[in-house]
Amino acid sequence: MTKRSLPELIDDVVVGLASEEDIARLETLAAENPDIAFAIARARQRFLALDETADELPLPEGFWERLNAKLDDRTEVPNDDTPGNVVDMAAMRGKLRRWRLSALSSIAASVALVAVLGWSTLSRQDVAVIAVLLNDQGEAVALVEAMEDNTTRVTLLEQAEVPSEMVMQVWTKPEDTGPPVSLGLLESGTSRTLTVDGLPTPHLLQLYEITTEPAGGSPTNLPTGPILGKGLAKVPVI
Amino acid sequence: MRLMQIEGSRMLGVATRFMRRADLSEDAVQETFVMIWRRAGQFDPSRGTAKGWIYTILRNRCLTMLRQEQRDIATAPEVIDQSLDDHVLQTAWDRLDTASDLRKCLEALDEGTRHAILSSYVLGLSHGEIAGRMSAPLGSVKSWLRRGLSKLRECMS
Repeated sequence: MTKRSLPELIDDVVVGLASEEDIARLETLAAENPDIAFAIARARQRFLALDETADELPLPEGFWERLNAKLDDRTEVPNDDTPGNVVDMAAMRGKLRRWRLSALSSIAASVALVAVLGWSTLSRQDVAVIAVLLNDQGEAVALVEAMEDNTTRVTLLEQAEVPSEMVMQVWTKPEDTGPPVSLGLLESGTSRTLTVDGLPTPHLLQLYEITTEPAGGSPTNLPTGPILGKGLAKVPVI
Repeated sequence: MRLMQIEGSRMLGVATRFMRRADLSEDAVQETFVMIWRRAGQFDPSRGTAKGWIYTILRNRCLTMLRQEQRDIATAPEVIDQSLDDHVLQTAWDRLDTASDLRKCLEALDEGTRHAILSSYVLGLSHGEIAGRMSAPLGSVKSWLRRGLSKLRECMS
């Protein structure tokens, strides 16, 4: 093996010129030293524009179903390659699997993946509470993850049918006996992260709900429209 | 869901540039999604973007599969359609945002070095394969790549 400087090793790994041994060695170094992890991330970011030049190819028929089957297979397998200092997600995956099964089978795989990718942008340790919002038929319609500072990621699990002149509004009750407070609007009708200042840290069994309101949000600043889904928060076991 | 469709399609595009075969590319993307699922708890947003993390997993998966394929099936280099690869590289270069730092810094390199770096990043070619394609000595290719990557690092820092 040629003697290389650390920046050279990082570039070789990122560009794809390194051996598997070198990749493993760098991963170990990165796990122990945040500066190295950061340098790798920076190097990756330098080249990411090239990945964006690839064609967008249609996914083959049955892609999500085949993936769903693979995910189900693996859910039961102990995560034996996870280092000891990493949060064990087995319990979470078990729950997600149940949500997945409760969803319509045709969208089942994508629901799971949206949830995973939603998660991947927030660190597990930072999530204070998680709530699964259910509709009046008991089906999961949204996943709410709230951080201590009330940054709240809302992942829709079904495409809601909202009339064009209406908007989805997300609410919570920071105090169980107090009024609901708006966390924000889902104007594009898609999942998003909301931020709001001045609320206390979310707590166990805090209520979250999504209602349909006139465009621009509730005129009274309290929920007025039909409830699309609601749920009580749980504290993740991590 | 739409995000996943789009990102999944792009991931399949990246995998196809590496694997060249539709069945292997789909396998690579599926394995990547499984890994994302299993490793979601390991992602740390303070150490880079989710996109960077996902594409790294995908690229590593493709490279591992490529190397495995090469061990299992002794595909002669001449079997691979080189003109197709050249077309893929040219397309990647043409599509690379002209305003991006990466484009400007790659433009500052000589053509051979740029070609070597793109062959590695876009197609997943090894030092030896690049040397074969460019009909250049392995030692020269290694040194072009090392110097080229160092210049890129400097240019983009």
